[in-house]
Amino acid sequence: MLQPMAMAPAPRRFGAVNWRGVGALYRRETVRFYRYAWESLAGPATSALLFLAIFHFALGGGEIRPGISLFAYIGPGIVVFMMAHSAFEGGAIPILFDKMEGMITDVIGAPLTPLEILAGYVLPVIANAMTVGAVILMLMAVFVDLPVHSVTAIIGFAFGASLLLALLGLVIGISVVRWDGYSAVETFLVAPLGFLSGAFFPIDNMPEAVRWVFHLNPVFQAVEGFRYGFIGQAQTSLVTAALVLTGLSLVLGLVAWRMLATGYRIKP
Amino acid sequence: MEPIFAQAHPPAPRIIGAVNWRGLWTLYLKEVRRFLNVFTQTLLAPVVTTLLFLAIFALALGGAGRQAAGVPFVEFLAPGLIMMTMMQNAFANTSSSLLIAKVQGNIVDVLMPPLSAAELTLGIAGGGVTRGLAVGLAAGLAMWVFVPLRIHDPAILLFHAVNAALMLSLLGMIGGIWAEKFDHIAAVTNFVITPLSFLSGTFYSIERLPEAWQIVAHFNPFFFLIDGMRYGFIGRADSVIALGLIVVPTVNALLWLLAHRMFATGYRLKP
Repeated sequence: MLQPMAMAPAPRRFGAVNWRGVGALYRRETVRFYRYAWESLAGPATSALLFLAIFHFALGGGEIRPGISLFAYIGPGIVVFMMAHSAFEGGAIPILFDKMEGMITDVIGAPLTPLEILAGYVLPVIANAMTVGAVILMLMAVFVDLPVHSVTAIIGFAFGASLLLALLGLVIGISVVRWDGYSAVETFLVAPLGFLSGAFFPIDNMPEAVRWVFHLNPVFQAVEGFRYGFIGQAQTSLVTAALVLTGLSLVLGLVAWRMLATGYRIKP
Repeated sequence: MEPIFAQAHPPAPRIIGAVNWRGLWTLYLKEVRRFLNVFTQTLLAPVVTTLLFLAIFALALGGAGRQAAGVPFVEFLAPGLIMMTMMQNAFANTSSSLLIAKVQGNIVDVLMPPLSAAELTLGIAGGGVTRGLAVGLAAGLAMWVFVPLRIHDPAILLFHAVNAALMLSLLGMIGGIWAEKFDHIAAVTNFVITPLSFLSGTFYSIERLPEAWQIVAHFNPFFFLIDGMRYGFIGRADSVIALGLIVVPTVNALLWLLAHRMFATGYRLKP
């Protein structure tokens, strides 16, 4: 006589971290990114080159400051703009989609701690956003000369910008109830932060009295830090930029972690 | 014995003349209410985006009394931006309407009623034109706060505004009928509509392009739309306005015939 219970597979044991669970979430986002590569990768790359072309024809090349060509200045700005956008979308859309479609139960029903869920949603998005940035840089390098001053600054600030926007996206994705809410935040918060970040113009063009407002924009700090990696100059101190990005990321990370732990707008 | 009158007086079928006016009007209202229902996304968002474009280009390029085509740069830029946002929104309206209806299956509610192919084309295009013009008007008014917009020739302006909205509505319909997945229409938007609306002289006079590209531009109907719109505002065009007055309606007529044909044959609409 067979004894069914004796034949049952033993429960999986895992240590402090459920690596396989986090890995599965990570792979899901990565697979999604590459399956829709035409939209997630080729789309931003096309837009970036379009921006470059427009500025080229409208401004006719030239130098933005002595020794710094227009392209060396706005090229890195465009890259951060596109990375920030990709990271925000990647942070917000998957969890909102999971909530709307009811698939979120598959994630919260799995033996994953809130921190593991956070990592599973955010880490692949950072990698994807940095991939977007790398691809755009390579394409730009085909058409224009980009100087390189500090690789550390380039990678560090690319990571910082992606991390911050991915976490912001996750918090927004959890907080909003419908697509309208997401698109409102994108239009009225994220797009202005991106466009008014000094990515496309030097803030020297602004009246002195309002320049401090730009310094409050974390995307501005990211743009200046990232651009420093190319041209070796920044309108802000690199320490300030790094502190702003780290501090805000910590705050948003804590908020997202608390939301996942308490099940805010996720569990009934 | 109580006679049963139910069958004796069935409601008379509605008599429809040459045109199903009520059906056409209903379809048009559906298309308009569809975008008004989410006006934050469909009206406010494009206005904000347009203002942001105005801001970055004014800040990047507007300094030091920069001029384009003999007028201050922002006055040159504003008509182009209005046209760009009108185009993108007219296209988005009709393409998303048809594609969503197809994917969700409620396209039958549009195909089943007694509406001819001409009425379907007119009703849906009308919704797209309304969205395009509404966005253009809203963006123009919002810009007017920051940029002194003067109107040189209202008739030319209106002609190009209506024809642009119509051209992109028709393209959106054709795209929406052709596409089978959202990826398809996203690809058309990313790789055709956005590049064409960006590179057709929105941000610069095509005099700045290499000579060969100036000739290529004259085969691009979007160029005539933007150029004509700008003429309506500032009274100066890169090309000959009369040429645009011929090219643009011709293109629209051809697109209209194609959209009509798709509805008539049920291409990718009926099994």
